[in-house]
Amino acid sequence: MDQRPLELILARNFLTGLSTPAFLVDEGGSIIFYNEAAGDLLAISFEEFGQKPAEEWSGAIGPFGADGKPIPIEELPTTQALRAGRPAHGNFRIRSLKGDEHDIESTALPIVAEGGQEGGMIFFWPTAGRGA
Amino acid sequence: MKVKVWGARGSVPAPGPEMNRYGGNTSCVELELCGGSTLILDAGTGIRGLGVGFAAKLPTINILLTHLHLDHIQGLMFFAPCFRSESSITIWGPSSPEASLAARIGRYISAPLSPVEVRELPCDVSFLDTPATEWELGGARIRAESVTHRGPTLGYRITDSDGTTLTYISDHEPGLGAPLEEIGQEWISGYDLARSADLLIHDCQYTDEEYPDHVGWGHSRLSDTLTFARRTDARRVMLFHHDPLHTDDFLDTFLDTANGRWRALGGEPGQLTMASERLELEVSAPAPAPAPAGA
Repeated sequence: MDQRPLELILARNFLTGLSTPAFLVDEGGSIIFYNEAAGDLLAISFEEFGQKPAEEWSGAIGPFGADGKPIPIEELPTTQALRAGRPAHGNFRIRSLKGDEHDIESTALPIVAEGGQEGGMIFFWPTAGRGA
Repeated sequence: MKVKVWGARGSVPAPGPEMNRYGGNTSCVELELCGGSTLILDAGTGIRGLGVGFAAKLPTINILLTHLHLDHIQGLMFFAPCFRSESSITIWGPSSPEASLAARIGRYISAPLSPVEVRELPCDVSFLDTPATEWELGGARIRAESVTHRGPTLGYRITDSDGTTLTYISDHEPGLGAPLEEIGQEWISGYDLARSADLLIHDCQYTDEEYPDHVGWGHSRLSDTLTFARRTDARRVMLFHHDPLHTDDFLDTFLDTANGRWRALGGEPGQLTMASERLELEVSAPAPAPAPAGA
């Protein structure tokens, strides 16, 4: 696999050191990395989860609205940030692979390099959780 | 391709009798391509010595800057061809959203830091951002990519017309936040530049013991340099950008340690070289494997 753009490499290195659950997506919205804190939240490490396109990861973990229905990909902060090239913020619920549900406040930031948008960083702030 | 080191020191010139063998001048490497053209990598204080006999030889000079820290541009003001009207000099460097390359270098070649301004130089000088895609100079294909350091910084991959490839990453901290021995290759800064290079000239400023006090300063410790070289399958490696505190005796011992670690990583004897001023190397691509009989 070819080397990622330096901006994504540096973002990954940065997220690795954070205790805030955080995800890195490429310009198409595929998850290409998440940190250990996100792994704790989802109950699966990134090494086990692997890189996944948006359609796959959204099906695996949600997100869900307050009514329990899946939120369309187009309405997620990640999608909005990548499409508009500006930060986006939202609230939703996710479900870990153990079945735990977490209410999440999320901010997505596009990563814009000299050559254009390379991807984005998404931060999760759990606001409440409940066991399966 | 012929390689000659004119400055191997990092950060700041470090002259003195205890530095004589490896030299105290900062980064500058001369490449003579197989077609006879010359490229200069960085313009640290080492470029002064290079420039003394240079202008008469070549009227057109290409200087590839990795970045604009002073140890990579300080020699420009003392590069003799800059003061000869028959010289034509092109300086390539990293772009920045903040200001043009000419304006950023002009901050150094201007008052009060310099007695002359860029516009007063008698030579014909131009400043060009490195292209985002591969381009050609003197018959060689050049590729510049950003690498992990402080501020906009490039590494270069230079492929000569005979296929010989040299990679120059003078200032680089690929191990920052990234365990190089286990991380996927797509996440290693500089990987594509260095992959299977015939010679990799790479930052090796710190010992592993010194590094904890310098994390994030933009330079490599020995183990990261060697791991990076092994991961990228470099055929030969030149340890470069010596710390100004490292004396000749220290660097001798450092090279012994490096060779031991290199062998432990599966490297072959003789693949490592410690950069030293005026060191000359001839680099060539491996000969193609003979075709199988009957093919």
